[in-house]
Amino acid sequence: MSQLQTRFFTENKKYSVDDVPFSIPAASEVQDLSSVINKLLEAKNGSHSQVEFDFLVRGQFLRTSLASHMEAESISTEDVVEIEYVERFTAPQPEECMMHDDWISSVEADSEWILTGSYDKTARIWSLEGKAVMTVAGHTDVVKDVAWVKRENLLNKLKARHCCRGHAGSVDTIATNPTRTKFCSGSWDKMLKIWSAVATEEDEELEEQPNRPRKKQKTEQLGLTRTPLMTLSGHNEAVSSVLWLDGEEVCSASWDHTIRVWDAETGELKTTLTGSKVFNQLSYSPLCQRLASGSTDRHVRLWDPRSKDGSLVLLSLTSHNGWVTAVKWAPSHEHQLVSGSLDNVVKLWDVRSCKAPLYDVSAHEDKVLCVDWTDSGLLLSGGADNKLYTYRYTACESDAGA
Amino acid sequence: MPTVNLEIQKKGTMSKAKEKSAKKRVAEEDDDQFPIFDKDIAEKENLEDEDDLSDSDESVFSGLEDSGSDSEEDGEGDEDGDDEDEDCAIISDEILKNDTVAETSAKPTATVKNTSKHQDEKLESAGKKNIKKGKGIVMEDGGEKGLTTTFQGLTTTLPADEYDQDTSDEEDVRNTVGNIPMEWYQDYPHIGYDLDGKKIFKPIRNKDELDEFLDKMENPDYWRTVHDKTTASDIRLSDEQVDLVHRLQKGQFGDASFNEYEPSVDFFTNEVMIHPVTNRPQDKRSFIPSLIEKQKVSKMVHAIKMGWIKPRKPKETTPQYYDLWAKEDPNAILGRHKMHVPAPKMRLPGHEESYNPPPEYLLTEEERLAWEQQDPEDRKLPFLPQKHSCLRAVPAFSRFIHERFERCLDLYLCPRQRKMRVNVNPEDLIPKLPKPKDLQPFPTTMSLVYRGHTSLVRSISASPTGQWLVSGSDDCTVRFWEVNTGRCLKTLEVGGAVKGVAWNPNPAVCLVAVCFESTVLLLNPALGDRLVVGATDQLITSYEPPEEDKEQAVTWALSEGPEHDKGHRLTLTHPKGVKQVVWHGKGDYLSSVMPDNTSNLQVLIHQVSKRRTQNPFRKNKGLVQCVSFHPLRPYFFVATQRCVRVYNLIKQELTKKLTANCKWISSMAIHPGGDNLICGSYDCRLAWFDLDLSTKPYKMLRHHKKALRGVAYHKHYPLFASGADDGSVIVCHGMVYNDLLQNPLIVPVKVLRGHQITHDLGVLDVTFHPTQPWVFSSGADATIRLFT
Repeated sequence: MSQLQTRFFTENKKYSVDDVPFSIPAASEVQDLSSVINKLLEAKNGSHSQVEFDFLVRGQFLRTSLASHMEAESISTEDVVEIEYVERFTAPQPEECMMHDDWISSVEADSEWILTGSYDKTARIWSLEGKAVMTVAGHTDVVKDVAWVKRENLLNKLKARHCCRGHAGSVDTIATNPTRTKFCSGSWDKMLKIWSAVATEEDEELEEQPNRPRKKQKTEQLGLTRTPLMTLSGHNEAVSSVLWLDGEEVCSASWDHTIRVWDAETGELKTTLTGSKVFNQLSYSPLCQRLASGSTDRHVRLWDPRSKDGSLVLLSLTSHNGWVTAVKWAPSHEHQLVSGSLDNVVKLWDVRSCKAPLYDVSAHEDKVLCVDWTDSGLLLSGGADNKLYTYRYTACESDAGA
Repeated sequence: MPTVNLEIQKKGTMSKAKEKSAKKRVAEEDDDQFPIFDKDIAEKENLEDEDDLSDSDESVFSGLEDSGSDSEEDGEGDEDGDDEDEDCAIISDEILKNDTVAETSAKPTATVKNTSKHQDEKLESAGKKNIKKGKGIVMEDGGEKGLTTTFQGLTTTLPADEYDQDTSDEEDVRNTVGNIPMEWYQDYPHIGYDLDGKKIFKPIRNKDELDEFLDKMENPDYWRTVHDKTTASDIRLSDEQVDLVHRLQKGQFGDASFNEYEPSVDFFTNEVMIHPVTNRPQDKRSFIPSLIEKQKVSKMVHAIKMGWIKPRKPKETTPQYYDLWAKEDPNAILGRHKMHVPAPKMRLPGHEESYNPPPEYLLTEEERLAWEQQDPEDRKLPFLPQKHSCLRAVPAFSRFIHERFERCLDLYLCPRQRKMRVNVNPEDLIPKLPKPKDLQPFPTTMSLVYRGHTSLVRSISASPTGQWLVSGSDDCTVRFWEVNTGRCLKTLEVGGAVKGVAWNPNPAVCLVAVCFESTVLLLNPALGDRLVVGATDQLITSYEPPEEDKEQAVTWALSEGPEHDKGHRLTLTHPKGVKQVVWHGKGDYLSSVMPDNTSNLQVLIHQVSKRRTQNPFRKNKGLVQCVSFHPLRPYFFVATQRCVRVYNLIKQELTKKLTANCKWISSMAIHPGGDNLICGSYDCRLAWFDLDLSTKPYKMLRHHKKALRGVAYHKHYPLFASGADDGSVIVCHGMVYNDLLQNPLIVPVKVLRGHQITHDLGVLDVTFHPTQPWVFSSGADATIRLFT
């Protein structure tokens, strides 16, 4: 078997080629195929510039030679092989390194600002360029998680609006709902609490200010203490991660090895997904409607939160050598996710090639504790080496258009 | 007696020959009958007295002129014959025949010629004697020559006649009547008829009693004369015949020349030779083609020629198969396979059976003697190993028959009863332990390393929620760690190397007991809920000193100022160095251990809320190693070097004394159920006690290579772990069943390595995470490691 009948297709109109079968050598690898496509495109369009492509055979990335891949996947070589090609996701380029005073426990970025929580009991706001904009002080203990509620009109003046009291253990995770009117917190006291994120009337003069919906300084604003709207109890151990699936559903992961989906309106438990290890972090992608979990073993696991029958692991991505402490789906790509681990490595995954990650980013010198993406093409990771790295990635727009 | 008959007939022919010659001498040619007739006459006379045989000879030769001389000669010959008997039978025979010499001249000559010279000489002398003694009628010349010439002169045609007479046919014709009673011819002068129909007359026998007597007196041959009834003639027996008669009468062989005592030929030599060979001459038949075979072959050849024998049909090449067991019932109890008794196996020959065994198999002289003296039953070997230079020199095995016989006996006497042997697979004897894979979860890999200490970490303790961990080290610090990130949250300097830390097990109280030097310090780490932290402080400050101040073994001091801000709450100053602190499950009582072999003040129990201290023991029972509270009941465990004592704190009495069977107990842990206990010891053993079962260890595990330093039970999972100086933590599955009949199941599941051995110390303490199947270990390499 030296030649294979193949047919190339792509979702991207820009790079589409004629739908005719080609006979190509079976031993050819990604590079060879890429050059074939480039030749075809050049022939079709004289102004075409060289583009690196990646190839998918039946939804799996081609990583070895075509023949061995087909043998491994037991695909018949008799038929015409349908090969999809996408523009290659280029390696993320390191951009900035933001030094903190202590470990970075959490990060959340939007198109303009980066909010980080640190073990030095402060939260910081950075610009995307890596400039420290603001420091949010007020906590008496380490900041474990951060989330944006509002970010219009960021001023230099910053003030704690509310102190949300109610948890009897350290609060490890918070998440705001998509409309940013509520947020949910998970704590070591095994509870989930849903709070209102809407500023109250008496705070109207400060309404425009960004808000840190966390336990706030009690010293000056004792009167602004808030109580939870709702308490969701059901977990047997500490809640390690919480997120909103949509406006009505809250999903939480816990040390009791379960992922639970709650109805945020009624407070009912809707689904329980049972794993075998303590969960560290969850992430949900509305694009592919899947949950990714990082747990206290080496695997990133994908879950379907809609499945009713409990423990169903769709896929597990194994490459890390330590606990997976952070996972995050790409905001604009349905197949990509990033994970950080105690083995100091951030890995960029495409779920279509679950055997090996797309890229390993080993910039950190200590444990990676948090990762995030922005829509604007930035990848962020922070860890125990007090550094927040940002990386620029490209090529997701072209694919995301699909 | 056929021989005798023959001889007699011979006699007859001889006498006939004599008669013939006599007749010729007389004149007429054709008178054949006369001599016969004469004989007949003699016979006739003899018929009257048949017994008197001696006459017949007389009568026969009576008509002959030279009969007298003949008889004399005979007599002489007889004597000669007697002399020469030993030499040769033939000679005597010839001499016996000498009486007929007159007629048969040629034969004697021939015979005499054959004899040796010595005999010739004897004959000559005999002849001379005859001349001297004889009546001098016939012969002047001595010797044979003289004899022959005389006879030649008498009868010229004698040789031809002799050949005529020699045919044996005519001799038989003498008796023509056959085998009939001869009395029938008694009254007739003849007996039978000849071919011409003429009567054959009996010899004339006209002897009367007187003649008979005279004959008896005078005739020296009378004794050897017999009467032949068939011819009615008297026959004088020759010496040879007489001899034969004598021999037969003695029961000897008729043939004198037959040697009944032939020298025997030995088929087998009398010498003992190593090879059994015979000297037996080969049979004649082995040289001669078998006649019978030849006949058979010729028959077959004939049969083949005639087409009676057909050539054999060629054999069928396709093999035929028969299902022998087609009809066998496979379920039959007496089925072939079920009742099959295999023959007892023979021992295979060993080196000692070799023809050239290695020298160590050869018996020495003493051994050989011992072997010979042994009873054959007791002998180790039934034979003596022997060395031969080559295989060819090996003799036949003398015990072969014996051995075959014994083998046959073995087979024959083999018991046919089936003994159901229990085939025990050695693996079945090992208790069936479940596979570690099935006993998950248990810690398998090292996940986190808590770094920060600068010296060996003696003791660790996890918070009741499992969120934090406290560790005490020889670098005089106590550190608080966040479990899931490995973050050191707090570091507290204390005034000495920390020997033990213990987190209060009550989740509503946030207190950590730390012991260093002779101080027990109660710390409030201020971790966790603010309310809990505040409640703890409240609990401590709410103490009201009692009215009368009792003298206590330790001094309680409330920390204030900067120490309070650091977290110090209460300081208990002990009189001696404190090695261990341990909380009661409710979190109010605290026990401290001051190992000291010389006093009874080794264990103290403190009550935090009332700041009271008591010494529960009045007597010193040995160096106390560690103590522990029962998780549920008011029991108190005190481990000394060799044993563990269980005290009832309410009744204030000793409940049980457990003997650990090890030399020096280092650590102890109580199962959360309270009925089981493990002890680690410095002699590498881990003893599991089932308190309901016995005071002896239910199981001893010796899986560590070096001294155990710490043991721990998991609160919820059926796990226990032990850390040792070899740097490893061994996690075992230790399932305790509620069923009292079922013993605990103990399976070592994992060896966890990671700690470096520093100053010959490895792992110093182990503790489990309170909720997860994770184990922490602190080591001499100043690290704490989390295995998940």
